[in-house]
Amino acid sequence: MRRALATILGAVTLTLLIPCLTPAQTDRGRLDVLVKDERGKPVADAVVSLTPPGAIAGPPRPGAVMDQQGKEFVPLVLPVAVGTPVTFPNRDNIRHHVYSFSPAKRFELPLYIGTPAAPVVFDTPGSVVLGCNIHDWMLGYVYVLATPYFVKTAEDGKGRIGELAPGTYEARVWHPRLRAETEKTATPVTIAAGEPGQVSFVVALKPDRRPIRRPNYEGVQGN
Amino acid sequence: MAVHFRSFRSRLVVVFLGLFALIQATGYFAVTAFVRASARHTVDDELRLASTLFARQLDVRTQQLVAATRLLSGDFALKTAVATADHATTASVLENHRQRVDADVLMLAALDGHVVADTQRPAHHGVPFPAPRLLAEAEAGRDASDVVAIGSNLYRLAVVPLLAPEPIAWLAAGFAIDDRAAADLRRLSGLHVSFVARRDGDVVVHASTLGAADRRTLASGLPALGAAGVLELDGGEHLVRIEPVGRDVVVVLQRPLAEALAPYDRMLLILLAVAAAGLLLALLGAALVARRVSRPVLTLARGARRVAAGDFDVAVKVPQRDELGELARTFNEMVGGLRERERVRDELERTAKLKRFFSPQLADALSAGDESLLASHRRQITVVFCDLRGFTAFAEAADPEEVMRLLHEYHATIGPLVFANEGTLERFTGDGLMVFFNDPVPCPDPAARAVRMAVAMRDAVATLLAEWRRRGHALGFGTGIAMGDATIGRIGFEGRFDYAAIGTVTNLSARLCQEARDGQILVSEPVHAEVESLVEAKNVGPLPLRGFARPIVVFDVLGLRPQPTEPP
Repeated sequence: MRRALATILGAVTLTLLIPCLTPAQTDRGRLDVLVKDERGKPVADAVVSLTPPGAIAGPPRPGAVMDQQGKEFVPLVLPVAVGTPVTFPNRDNIRHHVYSFSPAKRFELPLYIGTPAAPVVFDTPGSVVLGCNIHDWMLGYVYVLATPYFVKTAEDGKGRIGELAPGTYEARVWHPRLRAETEKTATPVTIAAGEPGQVSFVVALKPDRRPIRRPNYEGVQGN
Repeated sequence: MAVHFRSFRSRLVVVFLGLFALIQATGYFAVTAFVRASARHTVDDELRLASTLFARQLDVRTQQLVAATRLLSGDFALKTAVATADHATTASVLENHRQRVDADVLMLAALDGHVVADTQRPAHHGVPFPAPRLLAEAEAGRDASDVVAIGSNLYRLAVVPLLAPEPIAWLAAGFAIDDRAAADLRRLSGLHVSFVARRDGDVVVHASTLGAADRRTLASGLPALGAAGVLELDGGEHLVRIEPVGRDVVVVLQRPLAEALAPYDRMLLILLAVAAAGLLLALLGAALVARRVSRPVLTLARGARRVAAGDFDVAVKVPQRDELGELARTFNEMVGGLRERERVRDELERTAKLKRFFSPQLADALSAGDESLLASHRRQITVVFCDLRGFTAFAEAADPEEVMRLLHEYHATIGPLVFANEGTLERFTGDGLMVFFNDPVPCPDPAARAVRMAVAMRDAVATLLAEWRRRGHALGFGTGIAMGDATIGRIGFEGRFDYAAIGTVTNLSARLCQEARDGQILVSEPVHAEVESLVEAKNVGPLPLRGFARPIVVFDVLGLRPQPTEPP
């Protein structure tokens, strides 16, 4: 239920974002992506990105949100373009202590309730692993991309990147548990106007080793 | 009681004792074997139980260690120090945390498996983590703990990831398993405890309650043992149980068998005492029985020896009613038979001897035991003297062989006549013979018998004389008979007694014999008076005889008158 909600929210965020990034143009192409694992199962929460051949210049990035809800980070994976400010609203009635020791962004939001005044700006590409000092099992990822063209796969392993200028791109895939380095997944993709391009990745994932969240002592889940 | 093993009694005792000892020994050894087996079983059970408890205790402690380590790993300061690669701070935090949980060592390894910090060996920065397998275990998300050897020391080590919230390093906490820990366990269990690492055929005793020599024995003996066995250590046989407590480490529990046997020692001692007492009783019993059996046998043997020596007055006394008693009875009967036979033989011998002197009838009476007949007494008897005329001259001239032959023929002829007339043969004197009548057995007609005998002798000898004359020996035969009182009895000395009649009557008859010519039977007047009716006699008148003051009236018996009927 929570996962589904996160997916919906992610999708909503994406649909909100895309029109903002690029004005609607009829000569734009799109890319349908599919990520599966080695056994052919769809992989959710994979981030597929497209790097255009030229330099990337774009407007300032609108902010993104990483919620803490029911003592979980929501969404699990938050892909953002580099320079995106992200707010960490705490929707629980207890405090959280969000931190990251990741080289791409090292920060700490000591015990707080509500939304901290200043959002955290992610200005270096790379994965940022989020943790909560209070709740060992709380795990979230902010994936900072150097390109604005990306999509996070849904439960069915699918995603779509729209509003693409026709041309040749490099597609890459990232996932929190990806065995290979993302750089090595670079695949050339050609986007033509009016005709959806397609790219699919078969990825090998590490086992899910998230700290186990055991039921509350009172047997109450969530907040 | 001298012990000769050849004696029946000793052998019986030895056999008894041997059998008893065999039974006792068998019992003792059976009990000992049982006790040993039982003690072994008990120790085995103890060891099994103890090893299970040890393993369980180690498990629990390991879980506690893992939990404690995990708790430590949640420390934000540690995470921060590690994440910021602040090694000095990291080491300091580790030392602080080591003290918190009172661990012996705390180590931090980077994700690449190199040691970042080690509370025990601060200089060991950057060396490979000593138990890489545990890192792999932890990476696979399992509880990673093991008993591992680090250097020469043994540690129970737990490894957990340092999560931020993904693993950024490995945190390892360890408790030393050293001699002190082994000693603690020994205090709890009463067993010898050793922790031994086995790796690639190498056996290293890392911690133990054993001495140095026993450690070496254990190290050399362990590879041959399975999960359990027996090791010969200082202090005797030890039962051993081996329980793995780590991938390459086992805990070895030992207990000396002697310790488990100690409670039985008293029992075995009592058993030995009972056996000894039993043996003593058996010895006494066997001796008694042997005595009971052998005494009658010995008695019989003694009796038999006496019989063999000719003593038939033996009657063995064996009161038993068993086979030996039967044997003794039979023996006595046999000896009785022998005695009877000997008595009969003696009697026969004695009778034969008496018959030399007395008539067979008298001899029988005497041999029947009527010795009173031979006691000294005075009685009227009739004495007959006879001898050969010219014998002395003949004996000087003739061959001794011829003399003896002739005497033999003479005696053989007249001897039976003495017995036939129931006369008492007093003596032989070469050719002479003295016979008397009415003694020792009185008879109604002694004179008549004497005369009849003398006549029979004269007739019988006449034939001999004729024969001898043909052979050229001129011999004659004369007889004298007198009657009167004489003193009669046994004379002589031990070994040679004669029955003799002493008195004038003897002398007279001897003189009359001297006076008699060949073929004459001279009798004194009293004799003639007794037999007048029986014989034809001629008065030869009074004769002057040497030794007699007055001449004696003498008759010559010519022959017996024919008798109309035989006297009864």
